[in-house]
Amino acid sequence: MDPLWHTKRQWIYESFIYLCGFLLFMEWLYPLRQITDTEYVSAFIIYSAFCFIISFLRVPWYIGSPLKMIGLAFVVDQLFMTEPFLSSSWLFAIKDQLRYNWDMIMGLRFDQITPFFRSILFLVLLWLMSYLLYYWFVVVKRIHFFVILTFVYVTVLDTFTVFDGKASVIRVFLISLIVMGVSSIMKELKDEEITVAHKRLFKGWMYPLVMFILGATILGYASPKLTSQWPDPVPFIQSATEGLDGSNEKVQKVGYGTNDEQLGGSFIQDNTLVFQVAAEEEHYWRIETKDFYTGKGWINAEEGRFQSFDPDEVLPIQTFNQENVETEKRTATVLMIDKASFTKLVYPYGIERVNQSGAMSYNVNATTNVIQPMRNGRTVRVGSYEIDYNQPSYSYQQLQQASEEDPLDIEEQYTQLPESLPNRVENLARNLVEEEDNRYDKAKAIEEHFATSAFRYDTEDVPVPEEEEDYVDQFLFDSQVGYCDNYSSSMVVMLRSVGIPARWAKGFTGGERIDSATGDDGKAYTIYEVKSENAHSWVEVYFPQIGWVPFEPTKGFGNHTEFYTDEIDEEEREEVTEELKEKLNEEEQEKPELQQLEEELSDEKEEETSGTLLRNRVLVFILIIAVVTSIALYVYRFPLMRMYYRRRFLRNPNASTFTDSYFFLMKVAAAKLKIKRNKGQTLREYAMEIDRYFQSNQMSRLTHQYERLLYNRNEQNLPWDEVTELWEDLINKTLS
Amino acid sequence: MSQQTFLYHSKVQDLLNNVQKVIIGKSEVTTLSVVALLAQGHVLLEDVPGVGKTMLVRTLAKSLDCEFKRIQFTPDLLPSDVTGVSIYNPKDMQFEFRPGPLLGNIVLADEINRTSPKTQSALLEGMEEHHVTVDGDTMELKRPFFVMATQNPIEYEGTYPLPEAQLDRFLLKLQMGYPTEQEEMEMLQLVSSNHPIDDVEAMMTKEELIQMQEEVKGVHVNQSIQHYIVQLTSATRQLDSVYLGVSPRGSIALMKAAKAYAYIQGRGYVIPDDVKYLAPFVLSHRIILTNEAKYERTTATSLIHSLLERISIPIGKI
Repeated sequence: MDPLWHTKRQWIYESFIYLCGFLLFMEWLYPLRQITDTEYVSAFIIYSAFCFIISFLRVPWYIGSPLKMIGLAFVVDQLFMTEPFLSSSWLFAIKDQLRYNWDMIMGLRFDQITPFFRSILFLVLLWLMSYLLYYWFVVVKRIHFFVILTFVYVTVLDTFTVFDGKASVIRVFLISLIVMGVSSIMKELKDEEITVAHKRLFKGWMYPLVMFILGATILGYASPKLTSQWPDPVPFIQSATEGLDGSNEKVQKVGYGTNDEQLGGSFIQDNTLVFQVAAEEEHYWRIETKDFYTGKGWINAEEGRFQSFDPDEVLPIQTFNQENVETEKRTATVLMIDKASFTKLVYPYGIERVNQSGAMSYNVNATTNVIQPMRNGRTVRVGSYEIDYNQPSYSYQQLQQASEEDPLDIEEQYTQLPESLPNRVENLARNLVEEEDNRYDKAKAIEEHFATSAFRYDTEDVPVPEEEEDYVDQFLFDSQVGYCDNYSSSMVVMLRSVGIPARWAKGFTGGERIDSATGDDGKAYTIYEVKSENAHSWVEVYFPQIGWVPFEPTKGFGNHTEFYTDEIDEEEREEVTEELKEKLNEEEQEKPELQQLEEELSDEKEEETSGTLLRNRVLVFILIIAVVTSIALYVYRFPLMRMYYRRRFLRNPNASTFTDSYFFLMKVAAAKLKIKRNKGQTLREYAMEIDRYFQSNQMSRLTHQYERLLYNRNEQNLPWDEVTELWEDLINKTLS
Repeated sequence: MSQQTFLYHSKVQDLLNNVQKVIIGKSEVTTLSVVALLAQGHVLLEDVPGVGKTMLVRTLAKSLDCEFKRIQFTPDLLPSDVTGVSIYNPKDMQFEFRPGPLLGNIVLADEINRTSPKTQSALLEGMEEHHVTVDGDTMELKRPFFVMATQNPIEYEGTYPLPEAQLDRFLLKLQMGYPTEQEEMEMLQLVSSNHPIDDVEAMMTKEELIQMQEEVKGVHVNQSIQHYIVQLTSATRQLDSVYLGVSPRGSIALMKAAKAYAYIQGRGYVIPDDVKYLAPFVLSHRIILTNEAKYERTTATSLIHSLLERISIPIGKI
């Protein structure tokens, strides 16, 4: 039995120290949500807690490791998998993913690594960390290194990212003072072999410690602090790295992403080709919609259910009522270039069916309007496919005359707003729609608000809302600078604030026209190229009996939806004509702005896109932790190995344990004492060299036992206690 | 200590101590002689006269309660002087065999290179075959049988150098070397009254020695050690400076010697240290250097030492 476990107090103390280690490690995880697009921080926290507990319980590795493995699989399953847990299709999907990511890594295409794989890497890292911290805190009782690392980590994040480390620093300070205090007391007690009664331990040691820590914390918190003694290095660093400027904002790479919880910040253009499409007309390519506004970004209130559909079956994505909306049958062919990132289809409004040889079925989510191609029960990446769709065109009159009586469920789901939304947003919206008497005009009025010169389209210089700030509020009243996410979110929120059901749609704009061709059916098709930078978000407004009608509030973007005017009587015609005139005027007004914008953006495309966070950040973060872990593992490799062999000796002293640990001892001696065995040197000669160094005969004694094992026939009954003791003494001496 | 129990092992140390009472400061040669004795091999002592070669052999013989015979080799010595001769006894009217010195237990063959090859081969046949042929009759030699031959490296005139094939018959080739001043002083004090050899008592019987030789056979040689030995001997055959390398007989000799050495240490198994220690003594006289190497003053011993540095010791795993 390990002597460390002899007393109950020891156990309590170790639990406490390890708990503190866990709390410190949590400080590493908390900022992830803010600085990366990690959606599932809580899952990671739970998993690391799980790993920490298992490490602490010291269950044998052959129980602990499978448990952690199962935990890992479970987390992955919960986060990413739609297949039943551990079913064969599940395993296939995992295998598929792993193979794909492996290829990407081998091809050095790190940006193509999927979130699934990044999460697995991250979970493995958590697993390692749980063990490493156990080793640091409980076994070698070296706490300082990790405490300092944590401080460095928090301060670096505080300085260079949006993360506000104030509370975190205080917490880390408190925890580390406590843990270092307790650990040094226990070390002292142990070294000096003081035995103190429980009560006296508290009276004499713990109370003063607690008082001291509290005093230091309060004093530190309350005392006046000097302002920074040197200028903030961040602007300098950022100005030195081109393309970024010194404001407190995050910079993202543009593209389609799934996480919209934290919107805001600048982005850099990315003109990676995503797909090509042959269509008769240019229109937006939809991927999904979101319905829940958090004050910072968008999520889905409910994930919704996926339903499976066969190819050629009509898919239930009904954004409008076909009976009331005029449509035209069309076909488009989409060729995905960037196969890796997409397991969702891009599709035009009015989609009816998808013909694609690759997929066996389609999973359609009626809530989020996501279509996932499936094969053998697994999501597959999309190659190329053909879409039959009925392109809608809406009648102005119909829209204007539509009733405003929404079905209850629509009203409930799509007029949600966070309670924290400042009143001035609603006030503004009310002002704008005051004079309008129908939903279409109200929506139009709000849409037009963004066309005023107060708003500027820009992808840079876009701030991120502060902790207590609302994303929409900030854009509408403070910054008035932004891109599609700002415009579309603001419009949805304003519509909702006046009771109009609206939702946030994501996808791609029509892209760039590159060629034209004549299809098999004799129709003229245009080939469009859609790139990452064409990622876009816009607004859908609900009209009873008609359905969801797209609106485009973003400056510089035109709504490609077709609207038409019915044959109407003279009076109405005048009205409409006037409206059309107005609209034309607006467009004219819009044009100079557009040109100006184009100049501003110079060689960048003027099309802006949905801001998704730089995926690689998580990867970078993982890399940093991985590097830190590897360095730590490397630095502590010998103590770690010592622990490993020690456990082997305790559990199962046998020939292979002896051989391995003897070789380990030689390796350590070569590294630490610089005593290396030549190949022609016998073990005895080598042992004498070591003994000469230590002025003892332990190595020779150990070597004699090893020789017996090695050269005698069937040697089984070595004096294992002596061997273990000699080996431990020697390895400790060598490592110290 | 090993689990293997050697009944007679305790006597080895007594024997060595006993010999060292007389032979001052020559513990290595003494031990190696006992190695050869226990391995049932023979020793070639190569050194100048007067360093105690004869004394060593005599002390050994006396400690062992064995019959000691000495043959002084001269150019006119005949094979029958070594093996023995049948003499006609007129009384019985029959030929009667008079055993030669070779039929003792411990034989000192002094200045072996001074006699004719014919006589040398009579000795060597006995050493190798453990029997001699006289007048067509083959006679078994006594057990134990141990030959210590000496040769003088200084005087070459009128000598018949031993052929290489015959050198192979000796398990070890040893050198006595001069004692240190201190040792020589000690020696003088020791012999000032009467010679200590007179006080040497037998430490064990012939039978006990034979038992010990049997026990040595039971010493374990691990396969890895055998491999090490073979690597070593076969490496001598590949050296550029070697005209003729160590024969397989040399490998066997090395293994036998290592077993005896391990036994002396009280170990039931051979370790690489045994092999490494004995290799120069067992192998150096089994190597014939090329003339070029000789000109460069390379010696067989130095070659073996460099090989020992080069060849990996088996230590369990790589």
